[in-house]
Amino acid sequence: MPERGPILVIDDEPEILSTVATILEFEGYEVEQAANGAEGLDCIERNRPSLVLLDMRMPVLNGWDFARILKEKGVHLPIIVMTAAQDARQWAREVGASGYIAKPFDVDDLLTTVGELVGA
Amino acid sequence: MDVEQFSQYVSWFTYILIFARTAVRAVRRPLRANVDIALLFSSTTIIIALSVAGRLHLLPTEGWWPTVSLIITLTLLFALPYLLLRLVDDFSNVPTWLMRGAEVIFGLTFIVLVVLSGRLPVWLLSSLLLYSAGLLVYSTVAFWRESRKSTGVTRRRLVAVAWGSIFLCTLFTLFVLTAALPQFALLWRYLTDGATLASGIGFFLGFAPPVFLRRAWQEPELRAFLGRAASLPRLPDTASILLELEKGTRSSVGAPHASIGLWDPEKQTLNFGSVGTLMEMKVSEDSIAGRAFLTQRPAFTDNIEKDIPSAAPLALKYGARALLAAPITAGDRRLGVLVAYAPRAPIFADEDLELVKLLADQAAVILESRALIDEAARVQAREEVARLKEDFLSAAAHDLKTPLTVLVAQAQFLERRATRNPEAPADPKGIQRIVQETQRLRDLVLELLDASRAEQGMLVGHVEEVDLVALAQEVCARHATGRHPCAVEADEHVTGRYDEVRITQLLENLVENAIKYSPEGGSVLVRVWREGERNYLSVTDEGIGIPSADIPRLFERFHRGTNVNDRKFSGMGLGLFICRGIAEQHGGRIAATSEPGKGSTFQVVLPVEPAVGKEDGRTRGMDNLTREQFTVQTTTSGGGVVPQTPLVMSDGGTHAGTRPNPGH
Repeated sequence: MPERGPILVIDDEPEILSTVATILEFEGYEVEQAANGAEGLDCIERNRPSLVLLDMRMPVLNGWDFARILKEKGVHLPIIVMTAAQDARQWAREVGASGYIAKPFDVDDLLTTVGELVGA
Repeated sequence: MDVEQFSQYVSWFTYILIFARTAVRAVRRPLRANVDIALLFSSTTIIIALSVAGRLHLLPTEGWWPTVSLIITLTLLFALPYLLLRLVDDFSNVPTWLMRGAEVIFGLTFIVLVVLSGRLPVWLLSSLLLYSAGLLVYSTVAFWRESRKSTGVTRRRLVAVAWGSIFLCTLFTLFVLTAALPQFALLWRYLTDGATLASGIGFFLGFAPPVFLRRAWQEPELRAFLGRAASLPRLPDTASILLELEKGTRSSVGAPHASIGLWDPEKQTLNFGSVGTLMEMKVSEDSIAGRAFLTQRPAFTDNIEKDIPSAAPLALKYGARALLAAPITAGDRRLGVLVAYAPRAPIFADEDLELVKLLADQAAVILESRALIDEAARVQAREEVARLKEDFLSAAAHDLKTPLTVLVAQAQFLERRATRNPEAPADPKGIQRIVQETQRLRDLVLELLDASRAEQGMLVGHVEEVDLVALAQEVCARHATGRHPCAVEADEHVTGRYDEVRITQLLENLVENAIKYSPEGGSVLVRVWREGERNYLSVTDEGIGIPSADIPRLFERFHRGTNVNDRKFSGMGLGLFICRGIAEQHGGRIAATSEPGKGSTFQVVLPVEPAVGKEDGRTRGMDNLTREQFTVQTTTSGGGVVPQTPLVMSDGGTHAGTRPNPGH
């Protein structure tokens, strides 16, 4: 496997977090999990990921603030917004994401989107 | 022309002017007071006319005419105090003996004048003049006293009339002095002229004031009323506004009673509320209010018994004989009518009617402002409901989509895994996740369905004998954990006829909430007891509590505590709404008390035998369940009764009180 960072999944719903992680890991990706934006920033400090799957509405640090801080730090990472909200597309544009996944999503769609960005 | 002549001409002109104005008014509005005023000044005018004619030698100086002229002049002169007394009688009660006495003396004077051809002996003339002066003093005092009781223009006009009377009195006294002390004739003449002019001016201002003066006099009262009026639309309800308007009318017009009838376009009635009891009045010409409303013009009567006999009994019940009414109309919207009641006809009815009209116009502005404020509040409430719905939809969407996301993803993943490697062992973690999320989804959907049933009053199904103690113990046992002990304190037998499934759900909800919002180790206490025909259930926790601001809306749909972390405590905010539905549809109530940081108590009271009407799915048992009989008792850990905080009922009312200790 070529040298590339893990996929960082940030979601405050633990069931969604572990389900997404299981699916990606089964496909051979390395996955880091974070329950909110703040935990996500810690993960990035430790191990720079190749992609971030980002839930938007979260306690402590939400998706918007997470993306803003990343930008301020000058860290450029592809982000996929992952939300149950109707405005997924709009929100993805707001945070400068590379794509979005509307919950509930199809596993195929998730893998296609991730694959396009990470180059599986 | 010298000064003396000039002053005389001015006096004459003044009196003739008053006569002209009062005569016109008496013809246009032949009220008793108006006619009496016109009579008074026609007398002065005839006296003046005869005097002018004499001076200009227009009348024969020979034969019978001078005698007749003298008789007429003296008769009319002595008629003046009597006519003024009649005017006083129009608005206040002159004793009958005085009225009759004055009439008899006036009649006798006329006879004596005719018999003696107008040549009265000095002693008789002086006596009559002094008697007249006495009557005028009486009238002056009466006008003065009436002015103290009045307000606005009426008050100022009465003061002017009182001045006119006192100068007329001076005039009569001067006539006596002229006869008694002829050596000062010149002085008396000057004083007489002065008094005539002064009394003329007083009467002019009082009986025929020019419009600009009336406006100026009206201003202070109107200004005072308007000053208060600005804050009126902000009063809590229309009834308080009406009361204030009526109070303002009473003080501005100086009427003992005033009331506003609001137009009800559906029933086609005017609804009066503040004088005595509520009254709905069909609009017709048979009432002053009806006339004012139908014609959209002020209406007046100084004698209700004569004008509208059918309306008299009611008016007289409130001691009102004179009524003034003006329509309250904003643009082309007829809002109602303002009526002022007075026990006697006001002396200057036109003035008061004008004021009532101005007040009615002001009332229209105030009531319209109020309507606009109400409308704004309604729009705001609608927006609030819309916002709550939107919040709810977005929260519900989120809550439903989370388990759905896990379900879809997990199921597709299992399929993918099985396809890729049919020999792979089962994935117990994945299957468990699917089962768990299916349950979560089911609970959410059921919660939504129950909320919908609660709204339609269709929560209660099959009713049977339920043992509340056993039920509480079951629920407690199911939910108690090492971290959250749950204890039941109960009377021996507490049973009633309920829908067991729903009562269980109610208790489960309350106990689950108690645990959910309690820190670790917080214990939950469920109490069950019976009092008379009522069963009580209460659930007390030692949790985070509920901010008092949230309590009034606790049982409303979609409402969640402001101190509740949305993520930590999931839920759509429908649980307590459903609890309330279950309690109320069993004919009971639910209420809560809380001390933030210390804990909350939810109490449910249910009739032992709810009249559950299966026909419409609703119960009808809570009519006789008064608030007084339902209060929450909060207990401290020691079991003592703590002081009550105001209790909020599920219908939003508040009640403070203490329930007698059931003796646990």
